[in-house]
Amino acid sequence: MPTASLGRTLSLGLLAFATLAAAAPPRNTVPPEYVVHGEDQVKSLTLANGMKVIVWTDRDIPNVALYNWVRVGSRNEVPGITGLAHFFEHMMFNGTSKRKPGEFDRAMEAQGGSNNAFTTDDVTVYQDWVPRAALDLAFDLESDRLANLSFDPKVIESERGVVYSERRLRTEDSNEGFLAEQVQGTAFIAHPYQNPTVGWPADIQGWTVEDLQKFFKTNYAPNNCTLILVGDVGAEEVFALAKKYLEPIPRQEPPPKVRTTEPEQLGERRVRVQRDASTPLLYAAYKSPAANDPQGPAINLLFSILTEGNSSRLHRQLVEEKKLAIDVAGRFQEGFDPGLSWLMLTLPEGARVPAVEAALDQALAQVVQQGVTDAELARAKNLFLSGFWKGLATVNGKASALGAFEVFEGDYRKLFSAPETYRKVTREDVQKAAALIFQKAHRTVGVLEAPPQAAAPAAPAAEAKP
Amino acid sequence: MSARHSLRICAALLLSLAFATAHAAPEASGVKVPANQRFVLPNGLTVVLVPNREVPLIAFSGFVRGGALVDPAGKPGVAAEVAGLLDRGAGKRSAFEFADDIEGVGGSFNAAAGAEAINFNGQFMARDMKLMIELLADALMRPHLDADEFAKFRDRDIEFIKAAKDSDPSQLLPEYGRARLFSGHPYAQPQGGSERSLAALTQSDIVAYHAAYFGADRTVLVFAGFFDANAMKDALKAAFGGWAKARSALPKLKAAPRATGRSVLLVDSPGSVQTYFWLGNVGVNKYYSGRPALDLVNTLYGGRFTSILNTELRIKSGLTYGASSRFTRGTVPGEFAIQSFTQTDDTGKAIDLALETLDKLKHDALDPAMLESARAYVLGQYPLRLETAAHWAAALADLEFYGLGKEYIEGYGPALAKVDQAEAAAVTADAFPRPEDLVIVLIGDAARIREAAAKYGPVTEMKITQPDFSPASK
Repeated sequence: MPTASLGRTLSLGLLAFATLAAAAPPRNTVPPEYVVHGEDQVKSLTLANGMKVIVWTDRDIPNVALYNWVRVGSRNEVPGITGLAHFFEHMMFNGTSKRKPGEFDRAMEAQGGSNNAFTTDDVTVYQDWVPRAALDLAFDLESDRLANLSFDPKVIESERGVVYSERRLRTEDSNEGFLAEQVQGTAFIAHPYQNPTVGWPADIQGWTVEDLQKFFKTNYAPNNCTLILVGDVGAEEVFALAKKYLEPIPRQEPPPKVRTTEPEQLGERRVRVQRDASTPLLYAAYKSPAANDPQGPAINLLFSILTEGNSSRLHRQLVEEKKLAIDVAGRFQEGFDPGLSWLMLTLPEGARVPAVEAALDQALAQVVQQGVTDAELARAKNLFLSGFWKGLATVNGKASALGAFEVFEGDYRKLFSAPETYRKVTREDVQKAAALIFQKAHRTVGVLEAPPQAAAPAAPAAEAKP
Repeated sequence: MSARHSLRICAALLLSLAFATAHAAPEASGVKVPANQRFVLPNGLTVVLVPNREVPLIAFSGFVRGGALVDPAGKPGVAAEVAGLLDRGAGKRSAFEFADDIEGVGGSFNAAAGAEAINFNGQFMARDMKLMIELLADALMRPHLDADEFAKFRDRDIEFIKAAKDSDPSQLLPEYGRARLFSGHPYAQPQGGSERSLAALTQSDIVAYHAAYFGADRTVLVFAGFFDANAMKDALKAAFGGWAKARSALPKLKAAPRATGRSVLLVDSPGSVQTYFWLGNVGVNKYYSGRPALDLVNTLYGGRFTSILNTELRIKSGLTYGASSRFTRGTVPGEFAIQSFTQTDDTGKAIDLALETLDKLKHDALDPAMLESARAYVLGQYPLRLETAAHWAAALADLEFYGLGKEYIEGYGPALAKVDQAEAAAVTADAFPRPEDLVIVLIGDAARIREAAAKYGPVTEMKITQPDFSPASK
């Protein structure tokens, strides 16, 4: 998988970009699966310092999910400090002028809460899951680290080791992570989406306390944060807590806009990686529009048609029928700026990569030329719709979806109209999306396979393979 | 989602609902099992229904007893392949038609072999209840277990093990660890098979397993979500009423002995930049009377971010991205295991630290304030794991599997509240291994860590490319 999202701990799942859709048009009575109630229960308030607070009361369980979405990610980095947004995410748990390193976690866990955080190309998101009785503490802790973060040089050194270990786990000891980093780095020649979110090794080893201080001052302005709360709490109570704890933090100059735009790609780029591997990898990353592009829903449905589930088109053709791959994954990676859509194929041992690539190209050309079927589109809409409801079944899923819509689409209310938005997507829209995305001149192909066997006799090598 | 209907879907329907779950318990410890109907059909099939209309989905969860436990001798992976083939052609549908019909309506069906059962779950939109039951009945009672589908699926499973070795070797640690720790016991068998054992399986192994061990009396089905209980009951009777009982008896599991002394399995992965390690011994079973105390002590030791293990190996020293411990509890004791990783040159340092923490745990009294903190944490997080219909379907299937009552869930909070220092000390002495008694597995660059490994006991070496999880098999 592309290293789009790095978590603070292993337990974290990938950022749940809400995946939403509806199937057949409602007739006279609207079936329940197409009706998203609750919009009137969501309340929002913008504090005097510019921080927006959004609350959705849900009293199913006596807990609250709190998300702080900060609009900063690896796209805000420059050479020398790659990985700093992610490292910063780690440091947000490591002490303030009022609390010693580790106190954040100790205090929260002692009141029954847990937390995590993750960083992507675009955002850094802090998550707390607390019993409602610990809500006051959660606000105290969140405001303290936004207002009073401090950096202990000893802690910086040990956290550097933690992050490097994360990099070794996900990138250096992982063929998938390694190839994704190479492809992403090759796809962009100008835009900072070329930065690996975890950072290049020399930067991990090199960043300084001054880098951290500057990064904090620039990016952690309250007016650059959006707070989402979902669970067993009323909006008025949340707003009172937000006014008490967060409103006193002064508004700051917002971070500078990312100025660089990626020039148009005028020809295919290729990257080859030779590493010890039994199962070769073939990745293709296509230049794609930003998350808020009106074609976003059609692109999401296109990737569902191609790669989601055992009946998806590429899985059926390449894995089941031709047995050229053992796994096909794909997704539209949604960000603030135009980015990438990924197709990631894992191949069986001994596969001839060019033959697989030819079959993939043929399948993609077919989608571009002939489009998709009604059944394929209906299936994709139904899968999105069931995924949507699974997400809304938890306070955590609601918080994640509200935040994703607010931050990437500009308005959390789009969550409630999403089924309608997806319902309207037509076969023509999907074909248009395929023509937009699958342009060879706009793609970067990555291949990872074992280096060619040395001229040495084949027998010992064959023996080593049991 | 145990109770309230914050989305207020179809408000009119809500009025007619007969279920009443405990809503928004005032305290986290007040988790209540939602009202449900349980019945057993004449053929022995057990069904549990949990109506809940928060979102328009129906979740199911269930199992057929058996699993890796009844894999034929020397053929681990049979149950796993049976599980994988259930939805690859069944009833009147081919493999492709089956997938088309599940995913075409946005549904899901997953099945996998565990140590003592084939477990399955899935979710469909409420409007597709009839189709869901038809597909589920076909998958369980009438799978084709077709030769071509078997060969294709089996070949891919072999490749997936190789792919894991290429991209995430740490996920294989428990396979190596269990193979060694439980040697000679069914828990030693890799539940998904190994590259070698999968390659040797035949379609007849698969067909024979289904014929012998599938049957109504071995099966439990739990449905939770948006449905009418009476309509569901009628539909299930019609679909499953004619299912026969299973033919072959299940063996009775005995507890495996705990390991004494230390031994090391070094799995050589040349060029690996980190060492991934697993330290384990036989722990306790699902019925362990000290469960609340054990959960608190393991939370403190290796079960949360500020745990002793994570504090020493990550927070204070920066040696790793994560260190944790857990108990796996079956009808007989499964393993207690510590798992972590560190850069190759720090292998000895990190393992020493892990052993030191275990030694301290065994010898020093727990800080009362820490025990309070763990209690608050476990209680505070518990409702988040029992929030949705899918959570409840899984939790009630678990109770059925182990023959436990709802007290196992509802009594948990009150039992946690009563755990005192003495009880915590007792389970620490009883259930956690001494650092001197451990099976140790290291995956890493053997040339660089061989010397460090030898400090911990006699070392057996194998290559990661070997097609089994144990060096001994032939």
